[in-house]
Amino acid sequence: MSSNCTSAAPVSASKTKTKKKHFIGQKVKLFRASEPILSVLMWGVNHTVNELSNVPVPVMLMPDDFKAYSKIKVDNHLFNKENLPSRFKFKEYCPMVFRNLRERFCIDDQDYQNSLTRSAPLNSDSQGRFGNRFLSSYDHRFVIKTVSSEDIAEMHNILKKYHQFIVECHGNTLLPQFLGMYRLTVDGVETYMVVTRNVFSHRLTVHRKYDLKGSTVSREASDKEKAKELPTFKDNDFLNEGHKLQIGDDNKKYFLEKLKRDVEVSVETFCLTDSVVLCLLSEALSCFLCVRVCQFLATLKIMDYSLLVGIHDVERAEQEEMDVDAVGEEEEYENDGMGGGVLTGSFGTPPDSPGNPLNCGGFFGPGEFDPSVDVYAIKSHDSAVKKEVYFMAIIDILTHYDAKKKAAHAAKTVKHGAGAEISTVNPEQYSKRFYEFMSNILS
Amino acid sequence: MASAASIAASIASKTKTKKKHFVAQKVKLFRASDPLLSVVMWGVNHSINELSHVQIPIMLMPDDFKAYSKIKVDNHLFNKENMPSHFKFKEYCPLVFRNLRERFGIDDQDFLNSLTRSAPLNSEAQGRSGARFHTSYDKRYVIKTISSEDVAEMHNILKKYHQFIVECHGNTLLPQFLGMYRLTVDGDETYMIVTRNVFSHRLSVYKKYDLKGSTVAREASDKEKAKELPTYKDNDFINDGQKIHIDGENKKMFLEKLRKDVEFLAQLKLMDYSLLVGIHDVERAEQEEVESEDNEAEEEGESDGGGIGTPPDSPSNTLDSNKPLSPGEFDPTIDVYAIKSNETAPRKEVYFMAVIDILQHYDAKKKAAHAAKTVKHGAGAEISTVNPEQYSKRFYDFITTILS
Repeated sequence: MSSNCTSAAPVSASKTKTKKKHFIGQKVKLFRASEPILSVLMWGVNHTVNELSNVPVPVMLMPDDFKAYSKIKVDNHLFNKENLPSRFKFKEYCPMVFRNLRERFCIDDQDYQNSLTRSAPLNSDSQGRFGNRFLSSYDHRFVIKTVSSEDIAEMHNILKKYHQFIVECHGNTLLPQFLGMYRLTVDGVETYMVVTRNVFSHRLTVHRKYDLKGSTVSREASDKEKAKELPTFKDNDFLNEGHKLQIGDDNKKYFLEKLKRDVEVSVETFCLTDSVVLCLLSEALSCFLCVRVCQFLATLKIMDYSLLVGIHDVERAEQEEMDVDAVGEEEEYENDGMGGGVLTGSFGTPPDSPGNPLNCGGFFGPGEFDPSVDVYAIKSHDSAVKKEVYFMAIIDILTHYDAKKKAAHAAKTVKHGAGAEISTVNPEQYSKRFYEFMSNILS
Repeated sequence: MASAASIAASIASKTKTKKKHFVAQKVKLFRASDPLLSVVMWGVNHSINELSHVQIPIMLMPDDFKAYSKIKVDNHLFNKENMPSHFKFKEYCPLVFRNLRERFGIDDQDFLNSLTRSAPLNSEAQGRSGARFHTSYDKRYVIKTISSEDVAEMHNILKKYHQFIVECHGNTLLPQFLGMYRLTVDGDETYMIVTRNVFSHRLSVYKKYDLKGSTVAREASDKEKAKELPTYKDNDFINDGQKIHIDGENKKMFLEKLRKDVEFLAQLKLMDYSLLVGIHDVERAEQEEVESEDNEAEEEGESDGGGIGTPPDSPSNTLDSNKPLSPGEFDPTIDVYAIKSNETAPRKEVYFMAVIDILQHYDAKKKAAHAAKTVKHGAGAEISTVNPEQYSKRFYDFITTILS
């Protein structure tokens, strides 16, 4: 019989001793992680959210806020060496702007902090473009992506317009929800990170994943990719399977409205009155907004983004849970610290993980979700072939159409001929093609 | 329109941010008259928060006495309201001072609140070499600006000091060292040490003495006497016919502590320390309170911010007892140095007495001064520069005689 839960006692004794007179919601956080950079990330987010709690929330953001940063350099000597490196730096870009964005995306700063600091972020199998590194918060609510300094520059370029777009659509968008942007320096090496809300659920497992661009050139998962536990399939795979995402007309309409606003250019920029035009057809369309196109991705000359699609198979998940319970009963004396045989990945929270307050309340049935937490989730419609939950949102929006892209365009035209659909087009063409493809896959 | 909604949202956001969690402290802006004070507040806030994530060890290690934490902040167009954009904060031996705070019965959160909820106040008191003093807004702690030599001396004695505190269970008249820091603002380095206030956080002191047991040059200057609360010295004490009226039991306990303390100091070859004595006159304080209430009644709403009790609108420390204390009463866990006058005393008083300024080491400089003074006053005269052993003996004897 083995047990890993031995470290609890001295820590909690000291915690109660130090904190005996005050009730403070958070526990002692040790920022323990498998790698120094994760510890620094945890420390940094903890620090910056605390700093912000002492800066009053302004009535509105100022231009300077989009150029601001906070920088901190830590140099400890023979102190706090257990979990943190002795020397590191942490920089947060535009703290006030991201705080405001978090608010607009209905993310409480304390919850954000807890998700990223109570337990170390987990490595994620998925690889973005150029093999960027992905992490998810331990509770799977947030994704932390390692980006390049060029991406940081691009973020700064679009940040004002992005913020304005979020203001106008009231946070209701399929675009990535940018929540924080940081630079960490450990052992002299600089790492840039962007935190976004997880497209997938923090609870429901995703059984199948697609990265769709609407292009058909080189859009197929490699054999190496297919060997992974959760491969990222692409456009060709999707089409070859004859897949459709069966979300029903109402959901489809609502989804495509958001998508259009997010990706397309429109000549007109008209707007019905600011009060909502209520659609009486269904609840899903109660926020049917006027066609006020915010001229976002295409106008900003951004392209090469994808629609990330995750599919949760309700029946399969129920089956998996029964299998897990069976395994748990057999091995009831073994506590490996993860709870009885919980699968890796996003299937629920391990029983002994500290509960995020957002977890409390409401026990969800199979295929059920809290739409304020899993904001991208859409249920399959009642007459769908299979009972599924879909998670769909846009990712990778930081590639700017520039000389590099123009060069690649020329090169690919030579290779595949002018008529072939090639992945390098101009932003406007890209957005049109993207939108068309997505409309077709929904039913 | 959308803008009104977003304004409402941003005003509501502070409560929204904190609505799910009960967090005892308020938003702290670290607002102060001086950037240095803002940095102290920020630094103590940061250091206590950092420590709350470091497990308390079972015992201190040798490395803990050489350790430090250093942090450098460089903000750009952010948080400029109350903080300088560039500053550094260094804490010496964080684990040692945390342990000391614990041994002195000081909860880290309370310590944090005292130093950060509101800016520390300038104090008129001047130490040796005109060192600068501040008190925490709630007057529980004193922040003294010291030299880098003092910091070095602290490091020299810290292990033995800590050991002494362990052995006497925090029961001593020596300064209670609670934190030691270096601040860098605008390229200037300032060293600060935090100690528990010898005087009361509530009861006012109307007369103050700094006693060494020497009689050479031990008299308050005219300039000093002009101050609101002058620091009188040995000669003044004797000439005033001042007495400390405490009963036998208190006197015994006090002298026992003092004896051990000065033995410790002599062993470490420290000298030139003083006994700081503060006298609270109960009747006089009651009179002053009545007068200030009258003043308030006359000038409705104008508070004179004097030293009697806490200003009505200052946030209270959780350690403040809920029931009001009657005149001359005190909480001995907060005002740890307070001793009541005995029943036969001519006036009802409370005395605050403890040892201060212990960081002067007997070294070459002192040896040189000894030689110089012997020439000036003759070998028999009591000169203030003797060796630590002699100093401690003379000190102890003098204090014994002033307690009736």
